[in-house]
Amino acid sequence: MTYFSTLPVVESRRRETRMSRIITIINGHFKSWYRSKSNIFWTIAFPLLLIVLFGAIFGSGSTKFDLYVQNQDLSGNTPTYLSGQYVSALSNTTAFNLHMVAAEQTNPLSYVKDDAQLHNRGQRLLVIPLGFQTVLNTTHQAKIQLYMDQTDQASASLAGIVNAATVSYAAHLSPTTDNVNVQQVGIVTKNIRYIDFFIPGVIGMTLLTTGVFGAVNTNGRYRELKIIKKLATTPLSKLEWILGMVGYQMILATISLVVILFFGYAIFGVTATIDIYTVGLVVAAALLFPGIGMVLANFVKEAESADAAANAITFPMMFLAGTFWPRETLPDIMKIIANFMPLTYVNDGLRDALIYAEPAQALTNTIIALGLAAFFIVLGSLLMNWKEE
Amino acid sequence: MSNGQPTPFPGQSDKIVQVENLSKKYGDNVAVNGISFSLTKGEVFAFLGPNGAGKTTTVEILECLRNPTGGQAKVLGYDVSKRSDQAEIRKRIGVLPQDFNAIDRLTVRENINYFGAMFKHQLDADKLIELVDLKDKRDEQFKKLSGGLKQRVGLAVSLVNDPDVVFLDEPTTGLDPRARRDVWGVVERLRSQGKTVFLTTHYMDEAEYLADIVSIIDHGQIIASGTPDQLIDTHGGKKTLIIRDAGEEGLKQLPTGLPKAELRNAGDIAIPLNNGELTNILMSLGQTPLHDKEIEVRRPTLDDVFLNLTGRRVSEEGN
Repeated sequence: MTYFSTLPVVESRRRETRMSRIITIINGHFKSWYRSKSNIFWTIAFPLLLIVLFGAIFGSGSTKFDLYVQNQDLSGNTPTYLSGQYVSALSNTTAFNLHMVAAEQTNPLSYVKDDAQLHNRGQRLLVIPLGFQTVLNTTHQAKIQLYMDQTDQASASLAGIVNAATVSYAAHLSPTTDNVNVQQVGIVTKNIRYIDFFIPGVIGMTLLTTGVFGAVNTNGRYRELKIIKKLATTPLSKLEWILGMVGYQMILATISLVVILFFGYAIFGVTATIDIYTVGLVVAAALLFPGIGMVLANFVKEAESADAAANAITFPMMFLAGTFWPRETLPDIMKIIANFMPLTYVNDGLRDALIYAEPAQALTNTIIALGLAAFFIVLGSLLMNWKEE
Repeated sequence: MSNGQPTPFPGQSDKIVQVENLSKKYGDNVAVNGISFSLTKGEVFAFLGPNGAGKTTTVEILECLRNPTGGQAKVLGYDVSKRSDQAEIRKRIGVLPQDFNAIDRLTVRENINYFGAMFKHQLDADKLIELVDLKDKRDEQFKKLSGGLKQRVGLAVSLVNDPDVVFLDEPTTGLDPRARRDVWGVVERLRSQGKTVFLTTHYMDEAEYLADIVSIIDHGQIIASGTPDQLIDTHGGKKTLIIRDAGEEGLKQLPTGLPKAELRNAGDIAIPLNNGELTNILMSLGQTPLHDKEIEVRRPTLDDVFLNLTGRRVSEEGN
């Protein structure tokens, strides 16, 4: 029965389904998010700013490719004429920082691995074999080996420049000598630059802060504003409210992930692989961090204090969980504490999945993160008072 | 067991709200102490009392937000203590919580649709916007509205499911006089359209102006109920003759034989009136220098009712 005979009742076909209420909650959160400049700043601009700042401070700063060269083609102690010419040709491209490896080095790959890590350089080795000059003079066919990791984001550019330099060198040598062949040999390296390490950390940090603060805001502030009280007088259930919040967090987490990865690729050439573990970790983060926020919002009733509590929890977690620096650099006691930080598993899992391509480790971290997520979201939900006490 | 069917108390099928001997305790603190009242369809009912009297606790029990510790309450025939009944109540009531704010960054229209989406049916948002006179602000974000306009959004939100009864908890607290009048206007419109309204307030003038029935609650107990006129007639005391701006001098100029007059703060003289005395007093005043003063007869208000019943007045803040 309608008292307001003048007011038409809207009847929508999708009404009174649980899903339509959840979508409304998600939609409300999302609109509130993108209409707030400070939300956009903290979720999008701030992480990107951090990436630029940290990338600039800790990145190599060089636009040249590191390339180790071992010239085995020696005559006595000096390079043969043609091999020396070839190294000069590479050098003349100005595209490389050439690092010479002694010909006596019997295991040049191992040497390069250690030296590159020590100096934070790319692990790439070009070997001019013994007899290069002789073969070139007699058969007009010589082989040069280029060892590098195919997953190295610089590999394609680097191989291209080496090839171009080689073709030019060969043509210059003799019009008939057009067959200096660069043989690429794939090696697997852990050639992780700081920025590669940092990008998944920033994603983890963003998921942490948007999740915890988002939940503190929607469960603490909305309670103060009596929005939750109002909703509790409607057919909306507590479960639907929580699902709506988690759904919104998943959308936000996906946006953060995509924007940060795109930015990392565009500015620093960070290539990442999005796989099932990444998805699992985003789902885990969208449950875990709002869950922590809900627990906080229920222990600290006043919204402002809850905000302070959220800061007190997120900041130490950010630093200890290996967001900015590898945990290996932490004192032992801090390393132990870091093991109890949920963010540790999200950060590690994201690195394993996105950058290191270590599925086994990614799986372990994803499972731990999902376990923690289940614990915190259930705890947060149980603690949350939907009705008044 | 009601099985989702309304089961009003016997002989009270026209009652929208029925409360019998309702209590709510928090530990040793008794917030509501065995109150009983009922609300008939189409009535504007005011629950009047100072802060902490038990108004909000009562209204939140009726809204299924709190569980009573004793007694019984039914809304639309559904028992507020039964889970299956609570779901039915939630579909059919409209609620404006005390100090309610809608979602800051949603517009007026979006907020109405947001809360409307929680129900199977909702009233057209634009029509509700018209009802609360917010046409110009329809696409304005909630946070940009003034306090009075925000409260009108709250009213629209409370009506979005075309409820059978609307609970308005202190709807004008903290508003300036003009904004309060605007809210009153909306409530009057609801009354004229036959809506049943349950209003809590600590403003005596608000209850007097808006309500068909007033129940005065103090320290968790209902101390008087009736129409405002009934309450005033029974508990308000005598009418008062006021002589404006007469001052101390005026007191001396009063004719003898009048009831005991007193000087009030603005220099007005107040003389309590017994029935049938007015004409005689006016005639005798006509013989004095006070004859050219402004004179009015003041009827007792609910303020006087509350004062007479409790020995104290309720401040503007509700204390």
